[in-house]
Amino acid sequence: MLLHQNKKLRFLSFLKTGLNPFQKFVSTGEIKEEIGFVRSRTDLINSIKDAINKSDGCIIPIIGEIGTGKTHLYWALKNKLYYFNTIYISLDNVYRKFFYNVYSEFIEEIGPEVLRSITSSLCNNWGAHDRKFGFFHVADIEKVKRTAFEDLSDKFDDKIALNDVINAITAHQLDPYKKVEAERWLLGELMNFRELSHLNLLYDLKRRAYAFTLLKIISENAKLGTVLFIDDFERIISLSASQPQSEVIFEPGWLYDDETKSPEMVAAEKIFDKILQLNDIQRLKIIITLKSSESLNEIINKVQEINENLVNIINEPLFLKDFEEADIFEFYRKNIETFLVNIHFSEFLEDFWNTYFPLNEEVLKKINRITNGNPRGIIKQLINLFNDIIYSDEDLEVILDQFMTKG
Amino acid sequence: MKTTENLVLFDPLKGIKINGEFVGSIISVNSEPPNSIIFSDNLKISDDLISMKQALLVGFEDIYNEKIAFSRKSDFLWNDLQDCPIEYSVLIPKEIMDIYDEGQFSDAFPFTINLLHTAGLYLDDSDFEIDHLEFFKGEILKNPISLVFNGFCVADRVAIDHRSDPVFYDCIIVGRDQNDDLKVSYDPILNIKIDDGALKYIIMLGIEELKF
Repeated sequence: MLLHQNKKLRFLSFLKTGLNPFQKFVSTGEIKEEIGFVRSRTDLINSIKDAINKSDGCIIPIIGEIGTGKTHLYWALKNKLYYFNTIYISLDNVYRKFFYNVYSEFIEEIGPEVLRSITSSLCNNWGAHDRKFGFFHVADIEKVKRTAFEDLSDKFDDKIALNDVINAITAHQLDPYKKVEAERWLLGELMNFRELSHLNLLYDLKRRAYAFTLLKIISENAKLGTVLFIDDFERIISLSASQPQSEVIFEPGWLYDDETKSPEMVAAEKIFDKILQLNDIQRLKIIITLKSSESLNEIINKVQEINENLVNIINEPLFLKDFEEADIFEFYRKNIETFLVNIHFSEFLEDFWNTYFPLNEEVLKKINRITNGNPRGIIKQLINLFNDIIYSDEDLEVILDQFMTKG
Repeated sequence: MKTTENLVLFDPLKGIKINGEFVGSIISVNSEPPNSIIFSDNLKISDDLISMKQALLVGFEDIYNEKIAFSRKSDFLWNDLQDCPIEYSVLIPKEIMDIYDEGQFSDAFPFTINLLHTAGLYLDDSDFEIDHLEFFKGEILKNPISLVFNGFCVADRVAIDHRSDPVFYDCIIVGRDQNDDLKVSYDPILNIKIDDGALKYIIMLGIEELKF
């Protein structure tokens, strides 16, 4: 008993050094989230998995209010979708040079080793590794290129881009004197005219058709499928709905055909078209997160305006709901466990597993009640409460009593 | 070393002749010229004929009292099995070929020497000896075919070490064991000492002859 109390005191004194187990209440696509999803959201994850594995429909909308954990969902999916490369796309980052930026994110996710394996397998399929006389690999690069072009030409409209992409892939695998430059090109590095002409290429991947062609070829031939997680998709609606200011010195009509459209609107529409173009890529699924069903309806209307047939590519929406009461206990435990493991204090885990120390069940219930189960609200409350525990001179009991009596 | 059995398609010494049309990686050892090999991806055997299309014959031939290494692409057809110079034909199992493929340097490895034309690198012959190993010391050469004891070795590459001994990498070896049964094996590395007298010849296959 004495030892147990000492452990509690040790834990409290440790917290008072300034370490708060709850620090981050906004998830981002860049910083990895270690905490998984709570149990009540398992069904949602399974529904998303089912939708991804279904052959029809390319876009899967996830609707959740602010702070329900839409971005955190990305990290949960990334850990669960074993057979997919799951890539986070922020519209802010891909606003310009959409295909180039999406391809860059894709390549960053798979890495150069996988890229090499894919180009090797492609060249193999195109006959590069045929065994002459049953034994000897003698690659005829021009023959391989011809076979590749015959295989792929009916799938791509831009034949020049296709030709150059095939040139780069075959040089990467079969030409020892161009391999390094070809790999740089395939990794999305921008090149000057001299480097491009050495590879016998016209453009680098900043060229839209080139980036799209390569993205399609590489992702369709990767062993894993591809899931693009486009967060905060509403941004595209707000951009496309933005009105030109009443008095402007710059008149958009000078540069854009339709003077009623601002540059943002034009850019938003272009991104929208490009996202729909991704539907052409097999084994690629897009998850979009939205804050409301109204936003989804607006997007469906917009797709209908472009092409009615494309409405089918949008799946039925899935909803990300707030926490149920049991979730806050699981969420709290998982966070404390991760915190203790990260600070190498996992010896406390056994003692505090059933107590929610330094908080208690009643406090957690109240937090859930006053935040209506909104995860971001819950985290904010926990941060404040732990800050009180860390920085206040009051006893723990007094702090918790004050919290419970607060309106 | 990985050894596999039961892939012998034709072996008169053991009375084996399996009729049929076979595709894959086939090595046939030929007695004309002696100790020559035929590489082919097809072989047809019937009661009265053996044939191969677009196969590659590799060996040494006598030209004006000189031993000259050669490789020659040709169709082969023997109507009379009594006169057929083939000593045996073996189909290399797919699993060995897959390992062999994996073990190969890719074409992207630029420091391997590809000879343009087929040439003899080494020949242990009392009348006409060839030994260019010293010249290629420290180099890596592509596509060597060699005879070691009574085993024919097809390797992806051979490096000549500081003692001028050859080190073969990624090797498929075909030969008879002590019971004269035919065996196929795979070795990632095969180190041969010239002084042991085991190495009978090394022929470097020319890339031009493989391409066209």
